Amino acid sequence: MWKVLKIQDDCEILGVMSDLLEVKGLKVQFGSSKDPVCAVDGVSFSVPDGSTFALVGESGCGKSVTALSLARLVPEPAGSYAAGSIMFNGENVLEMSNSRLRELRGREIAYVFQDPSTALNPVFRVGAQIMEAIQLHRKDVSARDETIRLMTLVGLPDPAERMKAYPHELSGGMQQRVMIAMALACSPKLLVADEPTTALDVTIQAQILELLSSLQKKLNMSVLLITHNLGLVADVAHTVNVMYAGRIVESGQVRDVLAAPAHPYTRGLLDAVPKLSGIDGSDVRLEGIDGFVPNPAELPPGCKFEPRCKYAQDKCREVEPELECRISNAEYRMEREGLVGSEGGSTTNVQQPTSSNQEEGRLVRCHYPLGGSDA
Amino acid sequence: MLKIKDLTVQFGGEGGKPVLRAVDGVTLEVGEGQSVGLVGESGCGKSSLANAVVRLVPVAGGQVSFDGNDVTRLSRKELKSFRTRVQMIFQDPLGSLNPRLSVGGCLSEVCRVHNPGIGKAAVDQRVAELLDMVGLESLYANRYPHEFSGGQRQRIGIARALAVSPTLVIADEPVSALDVSVQVQILNLMKDLQKKMNLSYLFIAHDLAVVRYMCERIYVMYLGKVVEESPAAELFVKPAHPYTEALLSAVPDVEKGLKNREVGSDRIVLGGDVPSATERIPGCPFHPRCHKVQEICREKVPPRKEVSEGRFSVCHFS
Repeated sequence: MWKVLKIQDDCEILGVMSDLLEVKGLKVQFGSSKDPVCAVDGVSFSVPDGSTFALVGESGCGKSVTALSLARLVPEPAGSYAAGSIMFNGENVLEMSNSRLRELRGREIAYVFQDPSTALNPVFRVGAQIMEAIQLHRKDVSARDETIRLMTLVGLPDPAERMKAYPHELSGGMQQRVMIAMALACSPKLLVADEPTTALDVTIQAQILELLSSLQKKLNMSVLLITHNLGLVADVAHTVNVMYAGRIVESGQVRDVLAAPAHPYTRGLLDAVPKLSGIDGSDVRLEGIDGFVPNPAELPPGCKFEPRCKYAQDKCREVEPELECRISNAEYRMEREGLVGSEGGSTTNVQQPTSSNQEEGRLVRCHYPLGGSDA
Repeated sequence: MLKIKDLTVQFGGEGGKPVLRAVDGVTLEVGEGQSVGLVGESGCGKSSLANAVVRLVPVAGGQVSFDGNDVTRLSRKELKSFRTRVQMIFQDPLGSLNPRLSVGGCLSEVCRVHNPGIGKAAVDQRVAELLDMVGLESLYANRYPHEFSGGQRQRIGIARALAVSPTLVIADEPVSALDVSVQVQILNLMKDLQKKMNLSYLFIAHDLAVVRYMCERIYVMYLGKVVEESPAAELFVKPAHPYTEALLSAVPDVEKGLKNREVGSDRIVLGGDVPSATERIPGCPFHPRCHKVQEICREKVPPRKEVSEGRFSVCHFS
């Protein structure tokens, strides 16, 4: 039994932390204005101060374009921001002047990219590359001392010596640490990590994730983690948004979404990860998702996931579902009661998750959401 | 079927350069119809081992025998027929496919080389058959590698390997460059083909969860040496070597991640990288990174011990 709420009135009240970043109805297009291709279509989410927020989806679902948009890094005029707003600390990034954008990039929003070996400049020493950001944005410190401090912070041994190394002299994990040191050079408020560990070995991946999450706490910054692996999300993120074909299809607290995914796509992504525990691996067949991400120029009319969905019905083929807050009946009542109680007294009641049934700001874009484990 | 004994592969050494021992005395076996997993971090020598088996790099010592024949002593002609029985699938399908050759061209080249005198119609038919086998439409034969997605390219890589109907396929990180959803499709395809054609796999990966899904027997490599070998089922219940334990705990797993959120993480994070294989590390080669290191590990090389039947570990404390 599902009860549909309107996002505007109820769900927003449930998310009560102050937001560092708020993206509303973002639409990014590529190609000619006559026949544009929409890579990101109406994406809205917010990243609260000091939390780790994950954006999950397959290659080509628009997650990297979303990430680049946050600092207005999508190349223009090839791409264009057709609609929406990106409020960062109360300022709309899409309306910033070029000089303000230069201040924002690197200083307030910093990026760590997937492949450190191509993101670093091969002909400069890594120390110089880290120093560049400091020299550009910060006049108050000695760039060299600060570089050494940052390299120590990200766990690069022997920083004074390591500064003189060229990228090719470092291993993949070391290179990614250099990238992180560069990103942290100006103590950004938001760190965007776009598949930061995909190119690395599992052991090094564990090191980098641990580093990111300890830095996030230590420096109290927000981290936007972009990945296709839900296993990583379970480990480090607080909230998760699942993207498909340029849209958000499900969002909520990591614990809720991963324990009981409501969207068939999220379920499919979860099922696709080979498991370490449970029945002997070679006996059960993993059920992934058939087919592949559709070409954004040729999307189906109804639900965009319908052609690959095991549960598709006629309605899915015709009408595209909205991203809605759907909470099952019993839990819905509990939520309401919690909310009513808090309206009379203090608001702190709502902020504390009192039970695991409480699904703060859980949104799903599906006509027939899955009912967790029993569906 | 494939028997490797004390295999050593080394690079360098000319002109006073240090010798890099990529593979250092590995013994390994793959039986008929079996899937054997080879796990380890980058730089542990697993790819060098694979390349040595198919003679893409020279063997410095030890024996490799396939169906009773010594692979290291094959003549040019014998090598060609050996390679119809052993094939490889590579990690990066874009890098391993010729960008200027259409898919049909690439597959028919393999058919022609190994069946001289075969007619054009027969080649075209075989190409269509191969594409169908890996789940691609036959009209794709005219397209070029860049027109495909990563998953489709890997399917082409598999089709190329199967073109000569091999009995053993060595897959070197075949899915690590792919999205999780596509990864499953490729793994399932490989499993289906194995059943259909009675293939044996030597499956190389750094992700233990993937290996668990594919393989019956697993070898864990560290710095050119096998540190643990075990039937897959037992290895995951109770890893015998601390390195295996660390590898296992590093794999991102949804269930484990959710549990860690409740009770706090028990993850073992290995410090540092795999050391260079040119260094000589006294004692156990893993001791500088080991979370269970004791005095003896720094001094004495641990022996290979049988932990239980068919399970071996190279550690003083297993």
